[in-house]
Amino acid sequence: MIHLQHLVKDYGRTRAVDDLSLEVTAGEVCVLIGPSGCGKTTTLRMINRLIEPSSGHILIDDQDISQIKPERLRLSIGYAIQSVGLFPHMTVATNIAVVPKLLNWEKEATSQRVEELLRLVGLDPGEFGHKYPGQLSGGQAQRVGVARALAADPPILLMDEPFGAVDPLTRERLQYQFARIQQELKKTVILVTHDLNEAIRLADRIAIMSAGKLVQYDTPETILSRPANKFVHDFVGTDRALKRLSRIGVEGFVKPANPVAITDSISKIAAVIGRQPSAWVVNGDGRLLGWIDRKSLAQASSASQVLVAQTADEVAISRGATLHEALSLMLGQGVKSVPVVDEQERLIGEVSLSDVEAATVETEA
Amino acid sequence: MRQLLGRDNVALTGSVIGLASVLFGWLTLRPNRLAEGTPLSLWDGLGWGNAAVIVLLWLLCLVLSLSLKGKLKPILLGVTANMVLVVSLLMAGMAATGLLEVEPDSSRVSLGVGIWLTIAAAYIVIYASRQKLKELPLWQHLVSWTGLAILIALIFNGLLDSLSLMQELNGREARFLQELQQHVFLFGISVTIGSLIGIPLGIWANRSRRAERPVFFIANITQTIPSLALFGLIIAPLSALTMALPFLREIGIRGIGTAPALIALVVYSLLPIVRNTFVGLRQVDPAVIDAGAGMGMSRFQVFRRVKLPLAAPLVAEGVRIASVQAVGLTTVAALIGAGGLGFFVFQGLAQAAPDLIILGTLPIIALALIVDAVMRVIVRLVTPKGTGGQ
Ligand SMILES: Nc1ncnc2c1ncn2[C@@H]1O[C@H](COP(=O)(O)OP(=O)(O)O)[C@@H](O)[C@H]1O
Ligand SMILES: [Mg+2]
Repeated sequence: MIHLQHLVKDYGRTRAVDDLSLEVTAGEVCVLIGPSGCGKTTTLRMINRLIEPSSGHILIDDQDISQIKPERLRLSIGYAIQSVGLFPHMTVATNIAVVPKLLNWEKEATSQRVEELLRLVGLDPGEFGHKYPGQLSGGQAQRVGVARALAADPPILLMDEPFGAVDPLTRERLQYQFARIQQELKKTVILVTHDLNEAIRLADRIAIMSAGKLVQYDTPETILSRPANKFVHDFVGTDRALKRLSRIGVEGFVKPANPVAITDSISKIAAVIGRQPSAWVVNGDGRLLGWIDRKSLAQASSASQVLVAQTADEVAISRGATLHEALSLMLGQGVKSVPVVDEQERLIGEVSLSDVEAATVETEA
Repeated sequence: MRQLLGRDNVALTGSVIGLASVLFGWLTLRPNRLAEGTPLSLWDGLGWGNAAVIVLLWLLCLVLSLSLKGKLKPILLGVTANMVLVVSLLMAGMAATGLLEVEPDSSRVSLGVGIWLTIAAAYIVIYASRQKLKELPLWQHLVSWTGLAILIALIFNGLLDSLSLMQELNGREARFLQELQQHVFLFGISVTIGSLIGIPLGIWANRSRRAERPVFFIANITQTIPSLALFGLIIAPLSALTMALPFLREIGIRGIGTAPALIALVVYSLLPIVRNTFVGLRQVDPAVIDAGAGMGMSRFQVFRRVKLPLAAPLVAEGVRIASVQAVGLTTVAALIGAGGLGFFVFQGLAQAAPDLIILGTLPIIALALIVDAVMRVIVRLVTPKGTGGQ
């Protein structure tokens, strides 16, 4: 358990953190959120003593951390930041092994742990272990950053906008993956974000900050249904019913999509489509290639002639996505259903607008 | 059409200069080592046959630089340029031997403007061919160094002994070796001391904001004083110091000589080393340093395992710049009695003996090139994998 007691941090005449008290239950995800400059990063960095508070105390399992040597404290706290900060001159494996090495782990145990972590964050150890950070995509680097933070199995994880610097689809996948990992590992996590949907999706409790002060600290449901004051009300916005969709995964709403294969004959495709206006098209491995309009079938001699090619990045959501993301994509594209794909971009079904509406009404009630 | 032929402008420039060089005096015949001489043209000096060989080699370079594509082109260009280099000097050496047999004993045969132009032009072509041979390092090294190596072999075999330049060396070999050694000693020691002082200063300037300004103020000032003035400036206080502290004199430190030269050279080497160390440390991504500290590395571990390896290439680059600069500056040291190859340069100037000046200058240029090449290898060796791109 982490206990912040009356924390204050002054920078000259600006008060970055103002009398902040907060209790984070062990095994829970606490998300710090608020407008830029409200003191989230400062608060987070006081917990691993990268910043010393001007006054106040931080207790971890009832021990005042000012009594613990900073280096020792940090070795027991995972730390992941938006800019990732991978060491560019070390391979991915060496990066992850930094804390185990500082802790003098056996070589064998370290390399086993590195492989285990790479698998956990969905990277193939054989392929990625020997790469340098410069050879990774943004999303891969973020995953390595999370793996590195988890390396010595610290009970506490501090994350400062860890999914901030990547594109929306990658961010959605990383969030899903993080939620899955957290379900398994049950770390005590303090995560900073400025993305309310991310907070609603990942948090057990959300701490809303404003100008260095804690404004409300509650479960996402309570924050959405009973904002403590006008600031929270405005911060959450008017679309609270929609925001609530961020807590609901699409997986319970996926229906079979009846795709056709690119290699199918036109007559077979026509039979599968039947009276529907269109159908999704996949390749032999089940990967989404695009879609076909029923009307275009008449003059076609093969499926590839009339395929409207579209990548999963453009039109699909991952199976880890939330109803909120499904809905925004539908509204953005002006469609009534979106395909759902797995990590290999294989089509596993679709989610339709009517199901999302039903869910909205349910949570409203 | 031009694209098809693959014109190489640098090599072309070199070839044109090379061809033009045959129009200038190729050798200079002097009645004695100090007197004005009469220039001899390429064909008068070397004979028609030899002259034709050189002209043909340059024409070959010209054609090669205008035509052909692919890897063979720079190789052929490089080989031809090296041949021009060796052939023209060898022929000049032999022509000089022939001339000395018929001319009076005190006569000297010096290299003329034309042959110096040809040497410069050959190196322009070699440079152009090097640039195109980055993927073939073996050929790149061969093209760069073979001609020079053969020339050195020719010198050791006495084939160039009839040239006035070599006659200046004659009888001075011991002195030449001694001053060469002193030159290497002076710049080597001063860059070593400069690194030992400059790298910690750069680290200090990076670590403490209060140190940054004074460190750079002093380093910058020293760089703006003309070298001769700095050498001079050090003489007076050092003399005074040795007067006041006799034990300094006993261990060989005097107002003139090696001690003040070393001090001046160390001071000059400081700026590039301090600046590059400082910049090298500062350009390390703050997020990387933050991550290191946040993961539990101590300040020293962050420095040793993260900042230092990432700054190392720039630090080494600073030492490279300081070394090349010191090779040149050491020349001036001869003026305050510290010796070095500058000794021949200034003695040559005093006697108005051009070949003596060249005897001092050539090895200085060669030293600078060698030091530069060696330091570039070192820079590459300290560049960590995963950074730097190439
Ligand atoms: N090192 C610093 N010196 C002075 N002011 C700072 C420093 N770090 C942060 N601040 C100020 O403290 C406030 C909170 O900053 P921060 O915790 O980074 O906000 P957030 O992470 O919520 O965007 C801001 O007003 C910021 O300008
Ligand atoms: Mg921040």
